[in-house]
This record gives sequence, structure tokens and C-alpha cells, in this order.
Amino acid sequence: MMVQDNLIDIIHDTKSSLRRSVLELSQWKLHKSAKWSAEALQGMADQQVPRYVVDPDESPIRDDSVKSRMNYELPQVNAGMSEQEYDLYLLASSLFDSKEFDRCSYFLKDVVEPRLKFLKLYCSYLSWDKKTIESTETMLMVGESSRIQSPDNDSNEDNINNPVFSENKNKSDVQISEDGQQTSVTILLNELKEYIEQHAFNEQIDGLGLALLYYLKGVLLSRQGNKSHAITAFLKSLSFYSFNWTCWVELLDCVSRPDESLILTKHLAEKFELKESNNIFTQSSTENNIMIKFFKLALYQEIGGNIDEFLMNLEYLLSISPNFAYLKSQHALVYYNHMDYISSEKLFNQIIKSDPYRLEDLDVYSNILYVMQKHSKLAYLAQFVSQIDKFRAESCCIAANYYSSRQEHEKSIMYFRRALTLDKKSTGAWTLMGHEFVELKNSNAAIECYRRAIDIDERDFKAWYGLGQAYEVSDMHLYSLYYFQRACTIRPLDRRMWQALASCYAKMNNSKESIKCYQRALQLSNNVDQDIVLHYELAKQYEKLLDTESCRSNMLKCVELDRSMEGVITDEVVQATIWLANYEIKLKNYETAYNYAIGITNGTSLQIDSARYIARLCREKMK
Amino acid sequence: MRNPMSPGQTPSQHNSTLAISPFIARGTRQQQIPISSRNLNQPQEKQDTNHSRNDPPYQSIVSSPLGQRTSQPFNSSTNLTTPHQELRKDSRFEAGEHVTTLTTTTTNTTTDIDISELSSIERLRLWRHDSLMQHMYQTAEYVGNKIYSITGDPNDAFWLAQGFYYKGEYLRAVELLSKDNLESISIMCRYLITLCLFKLNKFDEALDIIGESNPFSEESNKSKKLQSDGGIKLESSLCYLRGKIYSALNHFSKAKESFKEAILIDVKNFEAFEELTNKCLLTPQEEWDIIESLDFSILSDNEEMIKNLYMIHSSKLINTNKILEAQKVLIDEYNLETNVDVISSKTEMLYNSCDFDKCLVLCEKYLKTQDALNPKILPTYISCLHELGAKNKLFLISHKLAEQIPKSAITWFSVGTYYLTMNKIHEARKFFSKSSIIDPNFAPSWLGFAHTFSIEGEQDQALTAYSTAARFFPGVHLPNLFLGMQYMSSNTLSLAEEYFTLAYDICPNDPLLLNEMGVMYFKKEEYEKSKKYLNKAMDEIKHKLYSNSKTAVSIQTNLGHTYRKLGDNERAIECFKYVLQDSEKDPDLYVTLGFLYLQTKQLQKGIDCLHRALAIKPGMTSAQELLTHALELNVIVSLDENHPLVVSSRIHGLDNKDGSLYNTSKRRKSVSSSFSSNALPKKIRTESNDNANDGHDEEMMDIE
Repeated sequence: MMVQDNLIDIIHDTKSSLRRSVLELSQWKLHKSAKWSAEALQGMADQQVPRYVVDPDESPIRDDSVKSRMNYELPQVNAGMSEQEYDLYLLASSLFDSKEFDRCSYFLKDVVEPRLKFLKLYCSYLSWDKKTIESTETMLMVGESSRIQSPDNDSNEDNINNPVFSENKNKSDVQISEDGQQTSVTILLNELKEYIEQHAFNEQIDGLGLALLYYLKGVLLSRQGNKSHAITAFLKSLSFYSFNWTCWVELLDCVSRPDESLILTKHLAEKFELKESNNIFTQSSTENNIMIKFFKLALYQEIGGNIDEFLMNLEYLLSISPNFAYLKSQHALVYYNHMDYISSEKLFNQIIKSDPYRLEDLDVYSNILYVMQKHSKLAYLAQFVSQIDKFRAESCCIAANYYSSRQEHEKSIMYFRRALTLDKKSTGAWTLMGHEFVELKNSNAAIECYRRAIDIDERDFKAWYGLGQAYEVSDMHLYSLYYFQRACTIRPLDRRMWQALASCYAKMNNSKESIKCYQRALQLSNNVDQDIVLHYELAKQYEKLLDTESCRSNMLKCVELDRSMEGVITDEVVQATIWLANYEIKLKNYETAYNYAIGITNGTSLQIDSARYIARLCREKMK
Repeated sequence: MRNPMSPGQTPSQHNSTLAISPFIARGTRQQQIPISSRNLNQPQEKQDTNHSRNDPPYQSIVSSPLGQRTSQPFNSSTNLTTPHQELRKDSRFEAGEHVTTLTTTTTNTTTDIDISELSSIERLRLWRHDSLMQHMYQTAEYVGNKIYSITGDPNDAFWLAQGFYYKGEYLRAVELLSKDNLESISIMCRYLITLCLFKLNKFDEALDIIGESNPFSEESNKSKKLQSDGGIKLESSLCYLRGKIYSALNHFSKAKESFKEAILIDVKNFEAFEELTNKCLLTPQEEWDIIESLDFSILSDNEEMIKNLYMIHSSKLINTNKILEAQKVLIDEYNLETNVDVISSKTEMLYNSCDFDKCLVLCEKYLKTQDALNPKILPTYISCLHELGAKNKLFLISHKLAEQIPKSAITWFSVGTYYLTMNKIHEARKFFSKSSIIDPNFAPSWLGFAHTFSIEGEQDQALTAYSTAARFFPGVHLPNLFLGMQYMSSNTLSLAEEYFTLAYDICPNDPLLLNEMGVMYFKKEEYEKSKKYLNKAMDEIKHKLYSNSKTAVSIQTNLGHTYRKLGDNERAIECFKYVLQDSEKDPDLYVTLGFLYLQTKQLQKGIDCLHRALAIKPGMTSAQELLTHALELNVIVSLDENHPLVVSSRIHGLDNKDGSLYNTSKRRKSVSSSFSSNALPKKIRTESNDNANDGHDEEMMDIE
């Protein structure tokens, strides 16, 4: 009963908090967060919270909290601002909405109120960002027309093979206008730091303002590449105001290694404090705060961790907000990441049914359809999303996948590029484009694409893996080894990573490490076919180390597994059998050798020939 | 009390021309005694009446007995009031007794002059004086000529010559004054005749007349205590003029001495002080020494204000705290916040600390609201625009200046700067040289001129230009610094060191100079010394510069290299990391950092850095070599407990110390939950759907 009550309280508080955050965040122009909150709220629509009726029978203590919950009001738009400031806000707000950022920050240049100050700096930042993008885009055009390209690019049939290399990566961070007004992240950051240092804030009143300012500080720091300080800033912002989803997302982007994620989770559990001013009732405790749970979910998706905890979390959140599309798509993504494409597809189908015009994560859905080779469905999806909005990165990615499935790789690349122009942060598009270049046998371009993906997000193991493979193709094993290592560091539970690493070590003649990697891959393998291959490879490495005993046992395993499977006899099995036969001959066990040799019925003519030779030899010896 | 001059007597070097201004001369004689007695008799009564008549800011002065006398409504409006008011402003506070008598208006002060009491000559003198003040030189000449003919008084000759001078008829003035041996009789005439000769560019003749050194120098010690009449002592003016002549003759050290003498004799001689500071004749330390040695007590009530004003006027390279304090006092107590001197001192400090944004805002505010053509603010403003690359604004201001003050050196300096910013070196040089021809003492133009050669790599010409600048402006360390830099770029380190030392003597705390010195010692492989200077530079900028300014970044970089050479890898890494965080991404820095990581056995970080370097600049052979080396190492490193790979897989929930993943993965498989996502791999296998492999990654494998 007590638990039930608690849950009801949590649902109630979450709803109020979300309501409030939608209002406040859209007031301060964090539209993405506001949208997320509103969606979450909508997802909770079915949750019937019993209206708090003041029941005279209830104990007085309970009564109090009920009353205060009932009296809890949504914030006024102009709360905490003087009339003058409010008017200024109205002006700034409308300028912001009409995307006149420079003007907006000009009018706000002397403000002292923290929230207005945030808006001012935020505008300057957006304006800087916009100008930076514009200047890079022009460079991109220029570079294309003059076809600047890495000279050793072997295939350059048409424009499609000149990807975005020419984009000026060396661009200056400082935007200097002709009139000497310079902006750069550093300058904005200095202004922000100075402001925070020089003003005394009342945490009770300025909580939201401080949260916004720290959020911006984090964004700037993270943009500057100073991740650790950015994390501190984000956490500070979140402690003032936890219902700001983009802030959590940015925080997530600052974490790139599993050990960092561990530290962060520990910090959240132990030291993180939620200030009560803006985090109401149950939401001010770290155990009950729903946003932390959402964050942990996302953290698992990106970096990995304990799956049981994750599933519990997901279940809990789904019980609170059952119809929240974000949660559902997280659910689907888990299936996707564990390669259960069927369940994942099912879930995506559900999502599309309940919220057909939601484009987020649909590119993943198209990946699934691609892999499952459901071309007609993919075609339908591509048509459908381009009807909704042609100029969204997601819809471009879907179209690109569609073309790729039709083997029209040039068109596919074109769509990926379009997606990247629309959203330069999309690592998935870079990686997929890299794959397309591989299809076109343009490994230089592919490498460039993978590199871009990594530049944006170091956690993208697919890009690392792709890099490794691309270098492997061009026989640069030194490089590919390193990239495989990176990929493997990110996904240590993925057999493929270890296998690739092992074969790389093998090619570099480092059998010892290669064996270690193969063993690990073997531990992670769930597939008998794979096991056979791995055992064979292991045996080969042991042979190199002249460790005949281990070699033999692995060869034996190889053959045994094959027998138990009764499947198609693979090349490895044949090779293993031949080896075993030869081995037995050396030990003069001609009968065993003969048995091995006559077992070989499939394989290349060379293998069969050698098998026959062995058989003949054995027969002679046995006589 | 000294008796002022009567007609026929000329003022001595201790006096100013106030002594022979008609009203003072007459008034003091008449009123001298009565004033002092009346003062004693009726102070109380006076005070009451005066309070109502005075402007509020001066009330404290007014209530002093001396001040009472001077009180007079400012709006009284006969023509004659203008000159008196001007005079009174100079002298009202400490020379009140004299000044009271100047009042010619018919107000109720008891000390008024009754014109009808004056003699006819004196009335003529008033007439002449007023017409001079109103710039009606014809009239002045006419009347003055008559007076001089009548009296033959040297003072009257002086006033007549004054008229000539105003009209720019210097030769006539010289002619008039050299008649009758006037210049030997009257010190004032000597001053004026020298001034005229100076204006006529006859420097040697001028020097002959004024004498090569101060003839009163022995006396001046004795007479120091003498009461001043509130104006500028003629002796000081003479010294100042001598300095100007020396400076025109390119005798800078003598000029400097003369100016110093001038300002020491009379602290009110601001021009001498300005000459010393603006024309960069003194080193920063000398400037401050002079300020310390100056006797401001002569200014009585104004002492603090003027002292602070002088302080903010002097070099900003040292004693910043004192300057800030002075600024604060001036703003808080004297309400001079928007005064040009306070503003220009602030802008210069901002400029020196590379805070160009704020400097620009302040400059623009002043130029817009108060004085668009202020010669003090403009050079800073223009340099600031150059630093910020604000071409558009430079274009506008250059045009505006060329329209409005085409004869000023600043105008052409501005045009030159514009071309420099646009990277049109030839045009820039042309205009810089034009500017320095107009005003040879305008240091910025000289330096700009020299820079144009330096940019084009014309070593010799640049050297000549810089050394000329160094000779002209002995008080600035910049020419020496640039000379040193030039020599350093041609690898003549010993000469570079010499010039840097010269610059260091002038200004020991310019971070730019310290940085260069650090680099120089680095090149000479004296790393300890290099470290010392660079650390000193860091200290300097810590409280002055913004951390992201170019100087700060380059100092950090150099310091990093020095630490590297000294084998202090940890510190070096820190320096480089800091630099890379804050500044633009430089591939060389990444290579260095990568190298350092490799040295400290942080393989992965090293490889990452080298990758970054290659991403920025793909053709870097040094980075490529290092990277190959690092990757070769990477193959050999064994996958033991400490390898990042092993560490990370352990973090992923696989905590078995022995590294065996087998058990854990089996455990994972056995966990069953409603979501069954962890049983997925099995499921896939059983369905054995050929298509259900991992999409793109598998495709890649096919290519192999």
C-alpha cells in the first residue's frame, strides 16, 4: 500500500514537474527540452491519478503535503521580473522567435537578471554557431568546384567520389565581423564566468536562471572540448533544475568511456543533490527523480552496463509513462543493439501506429528493414517520411538506406550528404556513408567518412570498426589493429571485435596476443559455426608457436563440433581434419590418420587430393 | 610679499605673464594692503554673502578666506569678463589677493576697479588687451603700437609682439623685439622672440638667444620657496622651449633634460610633462620617478587631483595598481569619469592588457558622445580596430578623418593602418611615411612604417627603420624589442640578446618582451634562463591579460617546449593541453603533445594526438613517422591486466579478476526476464535467418 501511494505521489509530482518544465523551458527557448517534456507528459495521459480530495479522515501530516500539492501552481510567465525586464523579455522573445539573434542579444546587452542574461548569451552563441556553419558551408562549395582531394585517391569517376573532404577543418573558432565585434566560444565563456562570479544569486529565486546559465556554460565548454568541466557544469545545472532533457543529453555526450560512465553513475547515486526550489516533492530525491532514471537508460544505450538494472529501469519508466514514444523507441533500440531485429521492428511498428509523424529514431528502423531485406516496407517508409518532411536528417537517411538497398550507391551517398548538411552531428549518417563508399570500393573516401564520424562521437564503435576494416583492405595492419582496439574497447562484449583484433594480431605475427583475443572471442561466441572457425584459427596460432598439444586439442574441437552439428562441412573443418591426419601420421597412428583422411569428401580439389594422398600413404603403412 | 611689476619693470623668471597683465598690475598695487586688513576685519560677513554667489563645486574653496575675494558671479557680462575669468581659473585659489582686483564688472564686491580712476595709458592698455583676447589683432596692433610709441615700455613691446605672433607674423615680432635690445632687458621678450624663431624653424638662432642651458639654474634652488603668482613660471616655459628646440635639432637627451628641468621648476607646465610622456622620451620607471619628485604642494587644494591626473597620464606598463587607484580617486572625488584623460588612460590600459573588445567599446563611447577627433583616443582606437581586424570601421574612420583633419598625422596613420589590415603593404607604407613626415614625433606611424618592411621580409630596411625609431623614442622599449625580433629571425642571437636587454632595461615587465627573451634563450639552448623569463611572462599576464589572447597562448606554448627540453614532461603536457583547449588547433602542437605522451608511455593518448595532427594536416611526415612508430609499439604491448582493452572489458560488468569471460557470459544467457533481450543472440541463431546479420558491418566483411 505504502509503495502504491508512493508511486501515485511520484506520478503526480512528475506530471506537475513536466507541466512546469514545458512552460518554463519554452519560455526560455529551449524548445527541444520542452518538446520532450510535453511528449513525456502526453505519454502519461492514461495514468489516472486520483484527484487529491481532502479527506478529513486522513492523518494531518499527510494532509499537509496533499494540500501543498493541491496548491501547487504553475509559474507565472513574468515571475520574478520587474515590469521593465518583462517588457524587455517580450521583445527579446519575439526577436528570438523570428531568428534575429544578433538583434536580440543587442537589446539584452545590459541585463542583470540571470534568465535574461542566459537568453542574451544563448543568442550570441546561436548567432556564432550559425555564422560558423555558414562560413564552412561556403568553403564546402568552393572545395567541390575546384575538386581538391587527397591525391592518392584511386577512384574518382564523378563528383560523388569527391566527398566533403574539402571542408575547411582548420577554420578559426573566432567569428570576427568586419566591425570588430568578435565572438568565439572562449569570449562567451569568459563573459559567462565573469557574470556568474560577480553576482550573488539567491538560489531560491534564481534557481531556474542559474540552471540555464550553467547549462549554457556546459554547452560552451563541451564545444571547446573541455569535457570534464562541462560535466561539472551540467551536473550543477541539473541539480538546480532536473527537468531539462537536453541538458541530460549533453551530459551524456560528454561521457565517452565506460569507466567515466561508472564514475558518473556513482556520483549521481551518492553525491548528486537536487535543490528543492525547482525540483518538487518526490522529485527532489535522487532515488525517485524520474529524469535520473531516464538518463541511466540513455547511458546504458550509449555505453553499456548492467543489463538487469537497465531492464528494471525501463520497466519502471514504462509503468509511469506507458505511451511515451521516446521510451518505446529506447526499448526498440535495445533490441536493435542486441540484434533482435524482429522484436525491434515490431516495436517500431507500434510506435509508428501511435505517433505516425514522429521522425526521431526512424532511421534506425530503416536500418532494421534494410538488414532484414524488407525492401517494399523500406520503400514505403522512405516515401512516407519524405512526405512528412523532406528536409530532416532522419528522412534523408531513410531515403539513403532505400537507395542503398536498391544498389544505387551514388544516390544513397547523395542522400547521406544531404542528411549531414541538415544535421552535422549525425554520426550514423557518416558511418553509413562510409559503408557506401566501401561498396563503391573507394576506401579513401570511406576512411574519411569514418574519421568524421569519430570526430563527432568517439563512442561510435561501428566507425572504428569500419576504419579498421578499410585499413585492413589496404594491408595497413598497424593502423587497423589500433582501430580494432578502439572498437573493442567500446564493445568488449562483441565477438566480432575480438575476432577482428585477433586476426590482425595474427597478421602482425604476434601469435601470443592473437591467441588471447581468439580465446576471448570464443568465450563470447554463441554460434557453433563461429566456434569452429575460432577453434581452427586458434589452432593455427598455436601451431605457429609450436605448441602442438594445444593446437591438436583445438583442431579436435573443431572436428567434434562439426560432427555434433551435422551441418555443412566448412573449409576450416576440412583443413583441421587434414592437419589432424598429418599429425597422426607423424605419431605413426596410421589408422586414425586414415580415418580422418577418408572422412574428407568435400572441399577443394587440392584438399581432396591431399586427403587421398594421405589415405594412400596410411594404407601402405598399415600393411 | 613680492611687489609685482609696475610698468617699466619686466617680470623675472619666477613670474608668469600674469604679472604684466594690465589688471593685475594695477589692481595689486592699489589693493594690496586694504585686502589683508579687510580680511581680518570682516571674514564672517563675507562668507555669508559669498555662499550664495558661488558654484557648488567650489564651495569648499570659497569658504577659505582667500577664496572669498575671488567670488564673483560668472554671468556678469561685459566684454572684459572673458579674459579675467580665464585668468582667474588659473589663479583664483592660491593667488586670490591678486585676482580679486581683476574684477571689472560692476558687482557689489568692494574691490572693483573703477575705470574712471585709471590713467589714459592704462585705459589704452585695457583696450589693447581686450582686443587681443577677442582676436581682433588689427585693433590690438593699432592700439599697441600707439602705447609702445608713447611709453617705450618693454612690456608694451611684448604685448605688441604678442599681437604679431597671434597673426603669424613671426618675422615682424622678431624684428620688433630685437630692436632696442629688448630681449636682454625683458625675459618675456626673450621668450617670445625665441618662440618666433622656433616657429620660423631658425633653431640655431633661437638657441643662441635662449642660451644652451638654463641661466637661472643656480638661483632656482634659492627661489624655490618663493610664492608663485599662480601662472606658469617663465623660467619653466623657457626650459620647455629649449627642450623643443633641442628636440627639433634631434638632440634628444638634451631635450629630455630641458623638459625635465621645466617640469621640475614648475609643476604646472603640463606641456613639458606631456612632451616627456607622449613623445616617449622617458622610460616608464623614469616617468614614475619624476612624478614622485615633483612638488605638487604649490597647487595647494588642487594638489591631489593634479597629481592623480599626472599619474594616470604616465606609462601604463608599470604601477598599474597606482594608476587604477588614481583613476578611482578622480572618478569618485572629482567627478571626472567622462573626462578625456581618465578615459584615455583607461583605454590604454585595456589595450595593453589586450582586452580589445572593452577598449573598443570605451573608445567608441567617448568618440561618439564627446569629441570625435580627440587626438588622444584616436590612436588607441585605430590600433584597437587593427587588432580586431575591423576593416569596415577602419575604412569609415579613415575617410572621416581625411575629410575633417587632413593635416593631422593621425589621419594618415589611420589610412596606413587600414591598408595594413587589408594586407596592402605598399600603400600602407606610403601613408605611414606621410604621417611621420607630418609629425616626426608620432611614434605609432614610425613603428607601422617599420612593420611594413618587416612584413615583406626586407630585413635591412626594417632594421634601419626600427633603429631610427629607437633613436627617436628612447623611452619606448618597442623599437628595441622589434629590432631584437628582427635579429632573431635572421638567427643573429647575440645581437638580438643585446637589443632585448636594452628593451628589458626600459620596461622589464612587458609579457611580449619576456616571451621573446624566453624564445631567444631557448634558441641559444639556455633552457633554464628561458624558463625563468617565460615564467615571469606568465606571471605578468596572469593578472593582466585574457587567457585566450595570442600572447598568452604563445607564452604557454613556448613554456611547454622549454619544459620538454628540460625533461619535465608532465608540466610540458599540461602547458600544451592548456593551449590546445583554448586556442586554435595547431597540428604541430598535437605532434609535440603526442610525442610527449609517447615518452610518458601513454600510448593511446599519444596515438590519438598524432591522429588529430594528421587530420588537420594530412601530409605531415613527422607525425606520420611518429604514428607508425607508436603503432608498431602498440602491436608489441601485451594484453595484460593494465591494457586499456582489458580494463574496459572488466568495467563492463565482467569483474572476474582472472579475465575469464566465460562464466559471466553464460550467466547473462541464463538470466531470463520479461524482455528476453539477452537471450536474443540465441534466438537469432535458431531462426538461422541468413539475412539477420549485423547489416553493414557484415557487408564490410564481404569485401575482404
